Amino acid sequence: MALSVSDAEKARIAFQRFGLGAKKSTFKRVAADPMAALVRELNKPKVALYNGRALPSYKKAASQSQKSFDNAENFRRKELEARVKKHLRADIGFVERLVLFWSNHFNMSIRKSNAVRGTIGHLERTVIRKHVLGNFSNMLLGVMQHPAMISFLDNDDSVGPNSKYGRDRGAGFNENLGREAMELHTIGSGGGYTEEDVTALALILTGWSYVRNWEADNGYNNGRNRNRGRFIYRKTWHEPGAITLMGKSYPATGRKQGIAALRDLARNPATAEHIAFKLVRHFITDEPTPEMVEPLKQAYIKSGGNLKTVSLALLQLPEAFSAPLTKLRTPYELAIAQFRALNKIYKKDDYWWAFAGPLSALNNMPWECASPEGYPDETLYWLDPDGMTLRLDTAKVSGSVYGNRYRSGALSLARSLYDSALTPETKQRISEAGSKSSQFTVLFCSPEFQRR
Amino acid sequence: MKIRDAACCADERVVRAAAAEDCEESRLALSRRAVLGVSAGLFSWACTPGWARASAEATNDPRFLVVVLRGGMDGLSTVVPHGDKAYRSLRGDLAIPRNKTIKLDNFFGLHPSLKNFGKLYKKGDASVVHATCVPLRNRSHFDTQDNLENGHPGATTGYATGWLNRLLSALPSGSPIVTHGGIQIGEAPLILRGPAPVLGWSPERYSHLENPLLYMVRTLYKANDTQMYNFLEAGLKADKLAEGKGSKDKNISDLRKGFRGAARLLRASNGPRIAALSVDGWDTHTDQGVIGGQFANLLTELDQGIEDFRKATGPTWKKTVMVLVTEFGRTARTNGDDGTDHGVGTVALLAGGAVKGGKVVSDWPGLAPSQLYDGSDLKATTDLRSVFKGVLADHLGVPGSILDTSVFPESGGVKQLNGLISASSGDGLQIAESSGRPVSLTSMAPIARYRRGEPVSGAGPRVL
Repeated sequence: MALSVSDAEKARIAFQRFGLGAKKSTFKRVAADPMAALVRELNKPKVALYNGRALPSYKKAASQSQKSFDNAENFRRKELEARVKKHLRADIGFVERLVLFWSNHFNMSIRKSNAVRGTIGHLERTVIRKHVLGNFSNMLLGVMQHPAMISFLDNDDSVGPNSKYGRDRGAGFNENLGREAMELHTIGSGGGYTEEDVTALALILTGWSYVRNWEADNGYNNGRNRNRGRFIYRKTWHEPGAITLMGKSYPATGRKQGIAALRDLARNPATAEHIAFKLVRHFITDEPTPEMVEPLKQAYIKSGGNLKTVSLALLQLPEAFSAPLTKLRTPYELAIAQFRALNKIYKKDDYWWAFAGPLSALNNMPWECASPEGYPDETLYWLDPDGMTLRLDTAKVSGSVYGNRYRSGALSLARSLYDSALTPETKQRISEAGSKSSQFTVLFCSPEFQRR
Repeated sequence: MKIRDAACCADERVVRAAAAEDCEESRLALSRRAVLGVSAGLFSWACTPGWARASAEATNDPRFLVVVLRGGMDGLSTVVPHGDKAYRSLRGDLAIPRNKTIKLDNFFGLHPSLKNFGKLYKKGDASVVHATCVPLRNRSHFDTQDNLENGHPGATTGYATGWLNRLLSALPSGSPIVTHGGIQIGEAPLILRGPAPVLGWSPERYSHLENPLLYMVRTLYKANDTQMYNFLEAGLKADKLAEGKGSKDKNISDLRKGFRGAARLLRASNGPRIAALSVDGWDTHTDQGVIGGQFANLLTELDQGIEDFRKATGPTWKKTVMVLVTEFGRTARTNGDDGTDHGVGTVALLAGGAVKGGKVVSDWPGLAPSQLYDGSDLKATTDLRSVFKGVLADHLGVPGSILDTSVFPESGGVKQLNGLISASSGDGLQIAESSGRPVSLTSMAPIARYRRGEPVSGAGPRVL
């Protein structure tokens, strides 16, 4: 029996606002009680984790990536493919969306270096996924002590000017990681820190580096074959003495100084507000109001930064199921939604043609956003004239590549994915579209499918 | 499915080949998408129905195109300093004989692949600035491309806005440059990122949806989603204008489509006045070639693009300046692979009817070993910002007060290069010193706007 329109809309909200798109196999189960299904996903043990024999260990990812571009690129491809397959297995994909959200929060680009290219997948799989429903400070510490982030934000050569190495060589510090850690990862712009605080955090993080290939090859700076490519704390590079950050003095405890400082930043109420704001903006609306942000902020503060508690608070906002779906799926989300709808992903030979190519054309290839800010959560960034025509062009590619591989037609698929939320107009245009691939193109172009 | 080989896989090869050099060359990957909303006028769906006619009349406003040559173009092979005794021995097998180049003056010769540019030079519509570079000289593609585009003195990161966008934000709102805005062709480069809304258009990469399917999708959007409908209509109009009539662009490269599209858009009377596009592939570490080969092919393609652009601007050419710049030059010596590595000093090329052409502007630093920068590269005696400032001041009438602060922060000590533009170009456009609008040098993060109680999202599209 068909669902009522409002029940079908609720299912669509669960799958599109919070998830990665409807699947035939789970639609009925989710539609029966969308809110309960979302909570069920959050409660599933180890829901975010996966592993595979093809996926490299930390040691392997770090060391091999240093040795050649091809190694690094090989790891990237394998990690990305495993990620896409994981997206397909999720019932709704709320936790997967949270993983993508946090990955974008700590955005890095593989174009920066082989270190990022070859270990970014490892970072996402073992740090982001491990803590996506855990504690934010642990996620932050894991990211900051990973070669990918050290490399991306130029901390590998950051030396305290008064450290032994700094005095001997006249070397200095790089403030990039310290700045972005405050501006993007924790407190956020306008949250009450100063330029002096940026410098202080940068000094606190001096000596946080990773072992570059030439160091491992030549035994420089404590580089060895066994720690090639891995995070390293270089004591003789670290700025000596106590350092004051946001009014608090951190004694000279070496690496622990940085850990203590980052933990405090994670606990700061401004960080709670920043994260609450970003979650609401990502999932619900371009214009979050204090009424939407406060409940998440309080959940964060009361739970000491527990991200599962915060994610539940997001679901419990009155707007979670009442605000209209005015945002637009990113091209990546769109590709995944197609795969989930059809229960198929690109074939190996189609990787460039049907997946990476369209995503590059639409500037949304995973792990390739150059700015540390990550992809914007602004609808008009994605919804613009050039973007719209490209969306249509790539929907045509998808229609012909994937649609033709699907057994039944687009109309019956659309009915089983949207039930009564499928509008008469979309139904009519799909059925008029003629060829099978054209029908899928219309389905993929439809506002039902594009919005979230 | 022809495109399969032609587009996607070609990109992959480019990226892989570049990245195999073990620097951040994969930054040079092509990506083609717009950023932010729409500029005024051209793409507003509410404007006059006839605007999309390709023959839209030109107006007298100046037009400005910035071409970013990504990868680090070899200035010494582009404009060859025959007059420097050290050139031949430094370049060895890669040295280009004087009798093979196009003579620019008694000192410099132009690479023979730049035939059309050479003709423009002789006609007085093109010029060269030699031994120039961005202020940051650390030889990293990633950092120096950012530096070229963010317009700051030398810091590498942390600046989210580009100088061309800040120009649009800083000029007084009545200025025709602001009214008609800017457009990026192809990718969304940092240079045009920022608070001012910009339009984007990309050359067709996958084949477009055709009728009746296209009609069905439009009808569906019209019925169910006005916002998507409006943006799609605007995008279709942009395609129609930029892609020209019929199928004459069918069998040319994306690069040439980009130049033609830029020209057609700039030419339209209510089209943008400023555009930016990127050309990739200049990172010639191996087998660079001399008269023929890799580098020569790149120049030939670029030269064709410049000529395409000139033709397609039509009567607007005389009001146009295009500046072609790169993030750094190559090492003065060749490397062991018949190529050149990341260097410093290089050339900037200027072309357009408004250019005061026919000259190579250079305070030549010399190529003797003691004269090289760090003992390896052509020294940069002209800050690239001086070139930009000279063009913006004389062509677009931008006052120094705006150039020294909003567009190129802390650049009061970097003097504009005079004499690049013909006298009549900026006529009637001189903008008063005191009329600039305040511009934030970093983009205002959404969280910061939220904390101040302001609307979080950008202004979005403006409609006539």
